This record gives sequence, structure tokens and C-alpha cells, in this order.
Amino acid sequence: MNTAVHPDPQGSLIEDLKRGNSSAYKKAVREYSPGMLAVARFYLDYSSAEEIVQDCWVTVIDAIHKFEGRSSLKTWLHRIVANRCKNKLRSSKREVAIDFSESLEPELANRFNATGRWDLPPSLKFHESADTLMENDALSDCLDKHLSALPETQRSALMLYEAHQHKSEDVCNILDVSASNLRVLLHRARQKIFLMVETFQETGEC
Amino acid sequence: MLMCRDLAGIASDYIDGELTGRRNLSVKMHLMMCKHCRSFIGNLRASTDLMKAHSSSKPDEEFIRRIDERVAEALKTRKPRDGNNE
Repeated sequence: MNTAVHPDPQGSLIEDLKRGNSSAYKKAVREYSPGMLAVARFYLDYSSAEEIVQDCWVTVIDAIHKFEGRSSLKTWLHRIVANRCKNKLRSSKREVAIDFSESLEPELANRFNATGRWDLPPSLKFHESADTLMENDALSDCLDKHLSALPETQRSALMLYEAHQHKSEDVCNILDVSASNLRVLLHRARQKIFLMVETFQETGEC
Repeated sequence: MLMCRDLAGIASDYIDGELTGRRNLSVKMHLMMCKHCRSFIGNLRASTDLMKAHSSSKPDEEFIRRIDERVAEALKTRKPRDGNNE
């Protein structure tokens, strides 16, 4: 008799995946694919990244039996995607070009005077929660536009760290970057998002 | 002395708690005296929260559908392990 107890929902999801349960796959695909795509987009263009994510899910059907739970399912999936992307880059002898320069965004750097104090201080004021603000379709569309315009490397780092809540060391491992380079990617991406939201709040324009 | 421009350069590290003791302390001291930098740190946090709320709200349905199809196709060719395929 099977007396195994799975107190955490992820445990039972993993067991269902191991049994090949199609509903479990639908649930897992919906939950984990956006993060897997964020990993793949760090390394590859959109269509190659999407193809890799699809291929990884097919791999997962066979490989899930080897999953021993040493990391979370999410981290395990993200590592599979990263390894596959790295192999693809290696076989095509390409590298990811990343700008790790630490400067402030020019638009932000120009807002300080010669003594380093604010000349044009931040004007944003948030009176509502992020979830309430996101009900504004125009703001949501604007965020879409600016997130798409971020360099892939910055966007992937930001998504994995913020939206998918990986620890720094996991992001470094998955994206193959040093801790200090991850800091630069996050720093630059956040500045851009801040500037975009500020412009939108001030002018209503994207 | 830490100036506003310097603080803007390390604001992201401060938010994530990545600054070492002395550096962290100098940011805190600066923030006590400078309302513009307090506002900047608050705004940087809030705009990141917005990005987080945004990206978790809308998965790309077409992208998900295409994966569902690939997975469903692949599952058909595998033998169910425990005879429980649904």
C-alpha cells in the first residue's frame, strides 16, 4: 500500500507529472513556462527560445522520473532550459553579448547638478497598490512595450529575480553570470522601468 | 560623503540588501537627510513591484497553447507508468 504523504502541493504535482497525468502537465506548463522563456530569452532570439522551451517540456516527460527534489521544480526546469541554450550556443559557436557597464542611464544621470545633488528630483507618487495600478490598461500596455524594449539580458535577470523570485545565486547559476554582473543587470533594468513609469505618470504617455 | 548621484548608482543594491555594513549605513544616513533620495528609493521599489504585478498577471496564451499541444502529443507516445493518464 502506498502510504506516501505529500504535504506540499508541489510534491503532489511532481508525483502527477511522474505518472504522466495530462492535467498536471497543463498546470505545470502554465505555471513554469513564462520563467523558462525568460531564461531562454537571455541566450537566444524569441523563436529559438520558444522552440527550446517546447523541447524542454518534451524532455521533462522522460526526465521527471530522475527529479529527486534537491532543488525546487522551478529551479530544475530553469537549469534544463539554460543548459540546452548553452549547448545550442556552443554548437553554433556564438556568445551572448552583454553590456555590463555600470553607468547610470543618461536620462537619469542628467538629473543631477555638478555637485551630485538632484536638479530634477523624482516626481512619482504612488497612492495605490501595484495590483490596482495594473488595472489601468494603458499603463499595462506601456509596461509591455518597455519590458520588450529592455535588452534581453537585463529583462531575463529582472524577471528571474523579481517575478520568478529566484535567489541571486540561482540566477547567476542559470544565466552564467557573476554576482557583480547580475547586480549591474538588475540595476540598469530597474532604472529603465522607473523612468518609464515616471514618464507615464507625469504625461499619461508611453 | 555620499552624494545623491552616488546613491542613485547603488540604489538597486541597497533595495536588495546587498550593500556591506559601512556602505549600507552611509545610504541610511543620507536617506535620513534627503527627501528626494527617499522618494527615489521608494519609486524604484514601487516601479519594480509594478513590473512584478504586471508580468505575473498575463501569460501569453498562444505560447502556452503551443506548448500544451507539443506536450499532449508527446504524452500520447509514452506509456503511462501507473496506468493513470488523467
